[in-house]
Amino acid sequence: MSDPAALKVDNLHKSFGNHEVIKGVSMEAQKGEVIAILGASGSGKSTFLRCINLLETPNSGDVFLAGEKIRMKQNRHGETVPEDIRQVERMRSRLAMVFQGFNLWSHMTVLENVLEGPLYVQKTPKAEAREKALSLLAKVGLSDRADYYPAHLSGGQQQRVAIARALAMDPDVMLFDEPTSALDPELVGEVLGVMRDLAEEGRTMLVVTHEMGFARDVSTKTVFLHQGEVCEEGPPAELFSNPQTPEFQAFLSRMN
Amino acid sequence: MENILSYIPLDIALIAENFDRFMYGVWITLNLTFLALLLGGLLAIPIAIARASGHRILNPIVQTYTYVFRGTPLLVQTYLIYYGVGQFEVIRQSFLWDPILSSAWWCALIAFTLNTAAYTTELLRGAIADTPKGEVEAAIATGHSYRSRMRRIILPSAFRRAIPAYSNEVIFMLHGSVVASTITLQDILGVGRWLNGRYYLAYEGFITAALLYFLIVLCITWTFRWFERRYLRHLVRREVTSETNLPAPTTT
Repeated sequence: MSDPAALKVDNLHKSFGNHEVIKGVSMEAQKGEVIAILGASGSGKSTFLRCINLLETPNSGDVFLAGEKIRMKQNRHGETVPEDIRQVERMRSRLAMVFQGFNLWSHMTVLENVLEGPLYVQKTPKAEAREKALSLLAKVGLSDRADYYPAHLSGGQQQRVAIARALAMDPDVMLFDEPTSALDPELVGEVLGVMRDLAEEGRTMLVVTHEMGFARDVSTKTVFLHQGEVCEEGPPAELFSNPQTPEFQAFLSRMN
Repeated sequence: MENILSYIPLDIALIAENFDRFMYGVWITLNLTFLALLLGGLLAIPIAIARASGHRILNPIVQTYTYVFRGTPLLVQTYLIYYGVGQFEVIRQSFLWDPILSSAWWCALIAFTLNTAAYTTELLRGAIADTPKGEVEAAIATGHSYRSRMRRIILPSAFRRAIPAYSNEVIFMLHGSVVASTITLQDILGVGRWLNGRYYLAYEGFITAALLYFLIVLCITWTFRWFERRYLRHLVRREVTSETNLPAPTTT
């Protein structure tokens, strides 16, 4: 038997009120895989990503991290809730997320942002955490900005700090929620560059994106979501050169 | 010197003679105000967290408390505690009576504490609720528990943002503390009133009192300015990078 997938999502459903946003999506990422998730706005791709680390609670479906299932139960109102919030917190610390709006902690310096998780969630010894944080900042090219506050950085720099912050947790899987959508066009490249390096290092990544070039060149698998369902998926080379469904064809022609 | 002083229509000598009384008044005003602020502030933190959590049972209780204490004058609250509570035989018999509720100083402290706690609760609740949603989500996604993200992310951020508004609360509390002088306490205004009552010289007592309050407010303002410079640096915009930092153009 082979190792369990780094991340496995099984038949996930999510509704907001009467509106079903995710209609049974399954996905599997082996260690080192980079999955690009594409879709028009409203296709549910961000919601799907947020259901994986339970920023949104899915109505049904299972999430497995390295074979370990996030246990859910029904509360007395019939809502699905985590059975053990400690387990969820532990899972989240292994699933780092990078947000569209960066979401750096504004009252902390760049270095403090990167140190926060290791020091206060993972309880790493201070000296060790600091050394690692500084090397991660060097890796994203921001060594000279360690003592700056986020508001004093450009969007591209903030997003690179957010990536360093995510990396500091040594995550098993990284979730990117439209990481370049809030950036000026000329700042997109620096962030994609860092993400490309991570993919080459063998990081397991799920990337919700509008960057077709990134999906085509970097991802090992591309998934196209349409109205809350997986419409097409496969190796990007095949998918982009030979789209099967009219929905994906229409999407591609709109993006180009 | 004698000549200059004779032009000032105040009896400086009388003020100088009673200077130590005024200094005692300053001491009473300061210890009442700042003890009330300290205790009220400590009380307000858990109450504000309960209020911000929207707890089904706690929230209405807290809301009633803040409505009552913000909806009625501090003077009335102080009277109710100082004059009102003693009407109950039970209380006069209880252990609370002798050292605490029979003392004007304690009654003032209790009234001031409950009053400033109510205002501070609402102020903090607002600051907690205003914590950027994305920053809270980032804390959740990092694996912080509710307690640890409250302690590490939400409160530090909320306290900082509350500093400017809280400086007003401190000044209001200082000015509100004059209520103490109406229940026999010799705070700054109390000494001014005493001087007026004794010599029928209104200006000497009240101008001195006003000046002392003014000096204390000046110190408070300076202290808060220092706090803001130190703790709100992260909100100050400045030019740093060669790159522009404009919001992305919205395409629809």
